[in-house]
Amino acid sequence: MKISIYRFDPESDQAPKMQDYELHEVNDEMMLLDALTLIKEQDETLSFRRSCGEGVCGSDAVNINGRNGLACITPLKSLKEPVEVRPLPGLPVIRDLIVDMTQFFNQYRAVKPYLIVHEPATEVERKQSPEDRDKLDGYYECILCGACSTACPSFWWNPDKFRGPAALLQAWRFLADSRDQATSERLEELDGPYRLFRCHTIMNCVDVCPKGLNPTKAIHNIKQLMLKHMI
Amino acid sequence: MSWRPANGLRSWLIQRISAVYLASYLIAVVVAISICFPSTYSQWHGWIAHPVINVATAIFFISLMFHAWVGIRDVVLDYVSPLVIRFILLVFIGAGLLSMGIWSIRILFSVAL
Repeated sequence: MKISIYRFDPESDQAPKMQDYELHEVNDEMMLLDALTLIKEQDETLSFRRSCGEGVCGSDAVNINGRNGLACITPLKSLKEPVEVRPLPGLPVIRDLIVDMTQFFNQYRAVKPYLIVHEPATEVERKQSPEDRDKLDGYYECILCGACSTACPSFWWNPDKFRGPAALLQAWRFLADSRDQATSERLEELDGPYRLFRCHTIMNCVDVCPKGLNPTKAIHNIKQLMLKHMI
Repeated sequence: MSWRPANGLRSWLIQRISAVYLASYLIAVVVAISICFPSTYSQWHGWIAHPVINVATAIFFISLMFHAWVGIRDVVLDYVSPLVIRFILLVFIGAGLLSMGIWSIRILFSVAL
């Protein structure tokens, strides 16, 4: 199987290049991450991130044949040859398939992805009804791999100002939480032309999310809630 | 929610409300014209001079200007990063849209009077 990988070492290379590798011991069970690991045995200079290897940690998000996804849960047999593997688009490349995710995590931090409670701490835990807990389904499962935000043209054009689908999904996850008491502050923070409203419902985020989540719906929910608060 | 010079929600709302009006107006006009087609100049003139049609058309052009402003502003915010060029573009687009809006309202009023 032919696999073409984006290579760039800032210490020695002037410009990035694609390097071709040939894999012979390929079977139907293998994921792209297995192939990358085998290639690393051939060429130990190849660099990529990986950790759990089963779609839970979100470390190995890469651009596979033009589409973002997790290497560890992308079956090799589903890919058209030659397989082109590139780093996530739009972020600065540190080396080969490793990108600098600072901008992505800055936007994540900016939405305050934790419960904010103004009342004094209670003696017992803050309870939530099963119905209220259900409202978080489809929003809390994000693994922060960055596939959605780096597939979003609005994030490419304004990564410093637009929160991006991943962070906005998290923003909604806390707005939807019955225990959170900072709804107005959160909505206030997201208003303005950039942070939320750069989203033009392109829906690349929904298309690529390896966990099958729907950031566009989360963004829509935030807009609806803003509207309710305004009225 | 506090007032901001470039409010996101308000622009988004203006874009959607104006879109609904633009679509409704166009459908209503197509239906009205297909029921009773004004075939001569004086019929056209009489039709557009009717106060309801005249005001509805004036609102159509105002909506169109607002709708176009939000849409073009979005494109400029996405694709034009240098602040000076962005500012110049927005001023020209805003002035262009405003003058076209005023011009169309003047024409409509001159027909109505």
